Amino acid sequence: MMKISLDPRTKLFMIFAVSFIVMVNAVTPFEWGIRIAVTLIPILLMITEGKYASAFRFSLLYAAALILLKFFISSESTGFISAFLVGYCGIVAQFMPAMITAWYVIRTTKIGEFMSAMQKMHVPDGISISLAVVMRFFPTIKEEYGSICDAMKMRGISFGGGKVTKMIEYRMIPLLFSCVSIGEELSAAAVTRGLGAPVKRSSPYELRMKAADIITIAVFTVFTGLFITVKYIR
Amino acid sequence: MNDNKLKAKDFITVGIFTALLFVVEFACGMLGFIHPYIVASYVVMIPLVGSIPMMLFYTKIEKFGMITIMSVLLAIIMFVTGMGWLGAPLIIAAGVIADLIAKKSNYKSMKAIALSHGVFCLWVCANYFPVIVTSESYRKSLIDGGYSMEYCDNLFRAINSKTIIFLLILCFVFGVIGAYVGKSVVKKHFEKAGIV
Amino acid sequence: MINIENVNFRYKGSGESGLHDITLNIADGETVLLCGASGCGKTTITRLVNGLIPHYYKGELEGTVTVNGRDIANTELYELASVVGTVFQNPRSQFFAVDTDGEITFGTENIGMSPEEIVRRKADITEEMGLSPLLGKSLFALSGGEKQKIACASVSALMPDIMILDEPSSNLDWKAIDELKNVIREWKEKGRTIIISEHRLWYLKYIVDRVIFLDKGQIAKEWNKAEFSSLTTEKLKEYGLRPITLEEKYIREFGGDIFSDTTENTIQYHTKADDIRIHDLFFTYTPPKYVVFKKKLTAENSDDYTLAVSDLSLPAGKVIGLIGKNGAGKSTFLRCLCGLEKDCPVKLTIGDEVVSGKKILNKCYMVMQDVDHQLFTDSVVSEVMLSMQDEDKERAENFITSLGLSGYENTHPMALSGGQKQRVAIASALAADASLLLFDEPTSGLDHKHMETVGELLKRLAVQGRTVIVSTHDPELISLCCEYVLCLEKGRIKYFRQV
Repeated sequence: MMKISLDPRTKLFMIFAVSFIVMVNAVTPFEWGIRIAVTLIPILLMITEGKYASAFRFSLLYAAALILLKFFISSESTGFISAFLVGYCGIVAQFMPAMITAWYVIRTTKIGEFMSAMQKMHVPDGISISLAVVMRFFPTIKEEYGSICDAMKMRGISFGGGKVTKMIEYRMIPLLFSCVSIGEELSAAAVTRGLGAPVKRSSPYELRMKAADIITIAVFTVFTGLFITVKYIR
Repeated sequence: MNDNKLKAKDFITVGIFTALLFVVEFACGMLGFIHPYIVASYVVMIPLVGSIPMMLFYTKIEKFGMITIMSVLLAIIMFVTGMGWLGAPLIIAAGVIADLIAKKSNYKSMKAIALSHGVFCLWVCANYFPVIVTSESYRKSLIDGGYSMEYCDNLFRAINSKTIIFLLILCFVFGVIGAYVGKSVVKKHFEKAGIV
Repeated sequence: MINIENVNFRYKGSGESGLHDITLNIADGETVLLCGASGCGKTTITRLVNGLIPHYYKGELEGTVTVNGRDIANTELYELASVVGTVFQNPRSQFFAVDTDGEITFGTENIGMSPEEIVRRKADITEEMGLSPLLGKSLFALSGGEKQKIACASVSALMPDIMILDEPSSNLDWKAIDELKNVIREWKEKGRTIIISEHRLWYLKYIVDRVIFLDKGQIAKEWNKAEFSSLTTEKLKEYGLRPITLEEKYIREFGGDIFSDTTENTIQYHTKADDIRIHDLFFTYTPPKYVVFKKKLTAENSDDYTLAVSDLSLPAGKVIGLIGKNGAGKSTFLRCLCGLEKDCPVKLTIGDEVVSGKKILNKCYMVMQDVDHQLFTDSVVSEVMLSMQDEDKERAENFITSLGLSGYENTHPMALSGGQKQRVAIASALAADASLLLFDEPTSGLDHKHMETVGELLKRLAVQGRTVIVSTHDPELISLCCEYVLCLEKGRIKYFRQV
């Protein structure tokens, strides 16, 4: 299938619109319709990017939550289990669209593109540099944490001898030491390559809004508009 | 040379500690999946656990802006990960105020740092904003849909627009307590090892 | 042109002085090697040239450093970015981006180069260094050698006249070092000035024009190319330097064996009664698909596995070197052996005991390459006691003394030097009563003296009755302490024999 790659700014707008729609509660079938529609768009986009497994998983989960909520949990259902289920399904049905959109955006956006989009939106360099470091550090923390867990297993201290404080301490302390020292070396390597120069940073990505972007933005604007209209104005 | 301006190294430091703090938030968030009620206990867990990286972060602050940037980053990450943007003003306001408080003592006095950390921790409450906003209308629609009043009250007892004040206060209190806990950990490990 | 004039330097907060009265002039296009023991000041000199001193690392600096006519002390780091480029020791910590493309262009973005120029330079570098297979990949998925190559590319994209390499080969295997050598050679041919600070000398023998030997922060000796390549191993040893020829012999001997495509599978070892036997060590990155229960990895399908050692006897109480190319499965082998891979059905026979599953964790202990990850507490003594079932302070102190750490009992482990930290980890392993000690690259980035210390220590552990398996790229370590060598290739045993 043809790959539709959207501008990061379009993707941010998608998140914005979806976050808005999920925060207002849907009651009527029409409102639910809009919600489901805005959920389907990122799922479709995921399919065009070839991420079939996740698209399938997300749709299944979302559909299950909707069906459970609609048909199996009624006013008669009482007791702990159903309270539990309503709580879950409610949250899944409510916030899943935002999660799906976020997942799509995070998985399909290169950090470089994202940085470039931030530059275009006039976000100060300081913030975009820090944000790039955050993105770089998530996988680093995962790696370091993995080795720390291995080391804990070898010494049989994974559960801190049953003390929660020790459990946290043994995980946190080596992790912090590692991150601080990686950070020192990273800073040195970055400043020798000109980070911090008093010029506007540039980017090899030249972002342009294409037809797909304009259509996506239009669709989401219309959905959001409709949603507000039926909810508040009518 | 303007020494009050943040340098590349400072931005990197902010990035690292934001990542660490977010990982703490994420780990606690995972516990929230066990049951929604646990979500309410974020106000205790995140300030206490997060205080360890935060207190180490405070030792590295010399200039104004680092805490503010951290709060902006948290707001951006929360937005991008689909946790909504309603909390953003709270997060950033907490960050700026926390930064100002700590700046007064030049990021040195423990009292100011504790206070500053307490204020900063209010960002945790931004996690609840989408739930609060939705819960009111959600509850109404559930009642309209025929659910019992009691049931709905149960569902949203822990988090609603009344308890949020209480949660904010808890956040602040545990933020201040956390600052001292975190400081003692920093003393025990990082100062002893000569890292800070 | 680099001029370092009468420089004295002392790092902030450090008692002893870093550099003493250093005067060094380096001409354009010259390739200079800085060598000497750890802490001799080689890295400090590289920092003088790239401006990290005084702009990043603070301290007391006397004297002047000028690079291409610029006074370093009065030049901002970003102005130096396109004059001096630096490749650092640790491939893991020096990259800023998450993907290779972003990393290559990182420097050019920082100085605000136009998008067209950035794209052009990236294409040039990719072509020149043959990087196209690496483009578009996550940096976290690359091997150390590949990361180091990307680091070279990123620095090179700024087209600096001067290249600094600070112990670039520390974390690389032989093949990666060979590629690094080619990169350096290419830079040299282009007329760039190159300064390399390094412990491993053999791969630089034919590249360098001049060698500066540093001792305690002073320039103690200077050799030209001819003098340097005629130095004997004994002479180098006197200076505490690693040999310049020995490793090449090993490259032919070990390297020839490892890198040849013969698939001979020879085990030249006669089993003995007290051997440690390894059974069913299987591991795969692509486990068979399952519905409810995970399929156990068994010998029948072992041809498909990433790593398969169905039966191997290892002599107890010996030091065994584990060699093989990067990606041959050395680290996975060690991880499986100490029970860290849950899906690996490995069983060990130690004495008359058969251990499997989680119990293996009590019998084996791995000293990791990055030893920082396995230090948890706030003092050496509590660190050692943490491994004990019943805390016994006296026993812990015995271990500490026997490893030469007495006097540091109450020091925070992270305040120690790299070698000392390693010994703390060994002490904890001894305290845990592990009978099989595994070491993952214990000598990467160590100078000759420290490498020797590690080798002696491993031998001593074996004499005390522990079985030691050490994975290494360091032929000197093998010749120093290993009685047996186990070579892996593509996850299979290639040979196992006495040295």
